[in-house]
Amino acid sequence: MSRYDYLASRFATSLAVTVGVSVVSYGLLFLTPGDPAEIILSQQLGRQPSAAEIEAFRAENGLNDPIPVQYLDWLLDVCRGDFGTSYYSDTPVSTLIAEALPVTLELALAAMLVTLAISIPAGVVSAVSRGSPIDYASQLGALLGVSMPNFWLAYLLILVFPLTLGVFPVAGAGSVGHLVLPAITLGTGMAAVVTRLVRSSMLEVLDEAYVDTARSKGLRERIVVYKHALRNALVPVVTVLGLQLGALLNGAVVVEIIFQRPGLGTLLVDAVFERNYPVVQGVTLVTAVVFVATNLVVDLTYRYLDPRVRLGGETA
Amino acid sequence: MTEQSTDSTLLSIENLHTRFRTREGPVHAVDGVSMTVDEGEIVGLVGESGSGKSVTARSIVGLQDPGEIVRGSIRLDDVAVTDATDRQLRRLRGDTVSMVFQDPTETLNPVFDVGEQIAESIKVHDEPGSQRLLEYLHLPPFGSRSEWRKYRDRAIDLMDQVGIASPADRVDAYPHELSGGQRQRAGVAIALASDPELVIADEPTTALDATTQAQLLERFRQYNAERGTAILLITHDLGVVAEICDRVVVLYAGEVMETGPTERILEDPRHPYTKALLECLPQRVDRESRLPTIEGSVPEPTADRAGCPFAPRCEYATAACRDGEIPSVALPDGRGSVTCVESNGFASDSPPSGTGAPGAGSETTAATESAPGDSDRPSPIVELEGVSKRYSLASGPIERFLGADDTLRAVDRVDLEIRAGETLALVGESGCGKSTLASLITGLETPTSGTVRIDGTPVGGVADRDADTLTDVGVVFQDPRSSLNPRLTVERTIDEPLRSVGWDRPRRKDRVRELLDRVGLSEHQATSYPHELSGGQIQRVAIARAIALDPSLVVLDEPVSALDAAVQARLLNVLADLQADLDLAYLFISHDLTVVEHVADRVAVMYLGDLMEVGPADRVFDRPTHPYTRALLEAIPSLEPDGSMGPSLEDAPPSPTDPPSGCVFRTRCPMAEPKCAATDPEQRRLESGRSKCHFARDH
Repeated sequence: MSRYDYLASRFATSLAVTVGVSVVSYGLLFLTPGDPAEIILSQQLGRQPSAAEIEAFRAENGLNDPIPVQYLDWLLDVCRGDFGTSYYSDTPVSTLIAEALPVTLELALAAMLVTLAISIPAGVVSAVSRGSPIDYASQLGALLGVSMPNFWLAYLLILVFPLTLGVFPVAGAGSVGHLVLPAITLGTGMAAVVTRLVRSSMLEVLDEAYVDTARSKGLRERIVVYKHALRNALVPVVTVLGLQLGALLNGAVVVEIIFQRPGLGTLLVDAVFERNYPVVQGVTLVTAVVFVATNLVVDLTYRYLDPRVRLGGETA
Repeated sequence: MTEQSTDSTLLSIENLHTRFRTREGPVHAVDGVSMTVDEGEIVGLVGESGSGKSVTARSIVGLQDPGEIVRGSIRLDDVAVTDATDRQLRRLRGDTVSMVFQDPTETLNPVFDVGEQIAESIKVHDEPGSQRLLEYLHLPPFGSRSEWRKYRDRAIDLMDQVGIASPADRVDAYPHELSGGQRQRAGVAIALASDPELVIADEPTTALDATTQAQLLERFRQYNAERGTAILLITHDLGVVAEICDRVVVLYAGEVMETGPTERILEDPRHPYTKALLECLPQRVDRESRLPTIEGSVPEPTADRAGCPFAPRCEYATAACRDGEIPSVALPDGRGSVTCVESNGFASDSPPSGTGAPGAGSETTAATESAPGDSDRPSPIVELEGVSKRYSLASGPIERFLGADDTLRAVDRVDLEIRAGETLALVGESGCGKSTLASLITGLETPTSGTVRIDGTPVGGVADRDADTLTDVGVVFQDPRSSLNPRLTVERTIDEPLRSVGWDRPRRKDRVRELLDRVGLSEHQATSYPHELSGGQIQRVAIARAIALDPSLVVLDEPVSALDAAVQARLLNVLADLQADLDLAYLFISHDLTVVEHVADRVAVMYLGDLMEVGPADRVFDRPTHPYTRALLEAIPSLEPDGSMGPSLEDAPPSPTDPPSGCVFRTRCPMAEPKCAATDPEQRRLESGRSKCHFARDH
């Protein structure tokens, strides 16, 4: 399969997934109990709205149309960049998302950096010195990391750093300093999983014959490990990292609320409680697109890391 | 010990003991080996698997991990490897000694292109001191691309030297994009990059075709002659040894049994083990007779033992063999040494009792001997009529739209029949379509066009075949280790086909016991799992499974290729017995023509999906009518140590996606004329068999 075919087919799949997600998220909202028109109006007016007022609101917001029509209307608007307007603040949803998305993305990427910085060295060292005290220490650390709930770690970090040592802000967003504690909170849990994966993958690769070929050339062990073995060992790791990055967008909800970061997670949770449909739909869709895009990147990275990966399964 | 170190000694190993720790206790993989390699010498290190050949070789370059050298010394170019620091060891690997490993699919790194892997080796040799990781990772500013460019250019030269065609195009290829032969050449290029004084080649040609093997051995010999590079060639194939080695060291159970000049070892083996190894070779035995074998197997080297390790399997063994240290006795006039109590006793006379039992199998070929004509032959079990199999390589819609829809002609309009009770051998280089043809017969693939008939009835794939047709064809696959389910016991594996046709329990149990007995496995092995069995035993299980439902044809896809000579001989005898007892027909697929010559009644020679020649084995081997058959026969390593291998085929077959016009073989054919490019030759009927060549005629 040529590169173009590969790209074209991956894009087509990604698009289909995105459309599927939009249909499901749009449809799910209509299965939840309660009439949004009534709820929103009662909040806006501060009293029980009359039947006429509800009817007027429904007509104005297109809530009387059949659901497929509402969906298509919404989808067309979305394609024009119009996610609708928040029921409460009259702010366009696109503006709300544009403000929240960078906050979440920077957290996800920072957490990913923390993960990589911990898991790759730890996994490699652990595998190379298998059965040594270092190996046991890193495995114990990984076990701790996996078992620690991240809300608990978050409060622990807040207790230690801002409250006791006086470094890093407790909450909020905006500077690099704001990013440190949430990134560590999110990153360590993930690092624990990835460390174990890097370790087992490295152990497998170090047994391969080509590692001995590299040694027999007279290469230093460090080059053998970090060039010849690691690149092969990373192939399965990258797949998991992609899925984990998606999971970070979800996991970020708890951490964002604890650290009071105005990210997508916070926006989504508030909107769900308020039955603010346009916001929920917009955030769900954007999250899905980010997730799909991440996995597209992962697939392309995969092809770069392992030249044998060719969709269509041809062999030499 | 026996071989004195002299000035010209490059490598000397003294009393080497390499041990592995296992759960069952320490394994003495190498148990007191002493040997030398002189400058510019080609030494063969031979023995069955488990004899300690590879571990010895790996100990020389310090790659014996996870084993450890517990005693003895290795000196290489006046450096004591056994005491060397890591730095010294790396220097040795980068300058003095290189290794070529066995399986080229596993020894090249799949994620780097071959140019990178060769260039790296050149750089290590040129600048052994400065090995900075960031530079090797090509991370700017530490590793500049332009500097690497010059190493890549030298890699291209090396690729050219080892015989990779159009190296400038192939330098960017990843290992999976190369053929097996090209991969191994790349492996050789990596080894030669450091211009070493000693190349250790561990079974370098075992995974290759006879033709590719011949080319590669020729390269080794040339390189040795031009540069004076010494070569330590590890192999279980005595034919390969006879082709290029000056001297041979025979290893058994981690000990040296015999050493000496190649000619002397082949013509006048002094050790019973060497003698037995030579007798197992099919090319030494008449077609009609059974292959002599060595009973038993290499002992588990777990415990310390006294006496000669070969004694339990030796037909000459006496009480004196079983205890004490057996001294290695030097033979006069530089004729080597032998480690046997009867060092000069039985030279070349026949064994006292004939365990080899020559002549016992003459009945196997009697039936076909008496039937030279086509008319009175038994009816065919399988008939192929114009059978083709094509694969489309374009899998995406855009490629198809752009018209890059390549088709690969795996099998191209083949006519062939297999008759009851005969052995039809299918030979050819890898990639010629042998295995695809077998899959078409077993129904694992369905033909793109043409008809496959079994017992006269046209059949489709497995899903369309009725139970009778399915049970009529048994299959033994190439790699038995991956074709048996590792989680099923031997009993369950053999039982499975019986269960699928609904036999009741007691009947199945009896049948499994009978089958085990037939293939020469003992009843207590029924509860073993595949990983507990040796390669030969696993292949016996696969054969038992294939014949469980009394097929009339068994398709054997390279059944003995992965096995040592001695094990191979025993398995071939089992197959001959089964054929005689059960009147089986075999489709025997192999690239090893010495084996084919021994087992086949008829031979079909395949090239690029088409049959080049079909005929009785005697005639094809004695008087080949197709130039391709002749080329294949010339590539067989002969046991005559005269050093002449004959002109072998150059290069590899053309791509089956773009076959040449006219005769597909013409691009490599020494007889090719313009008319060969213009017209595809007809299948010519000969007095015996047929041949697809314009020049074919009865001799």
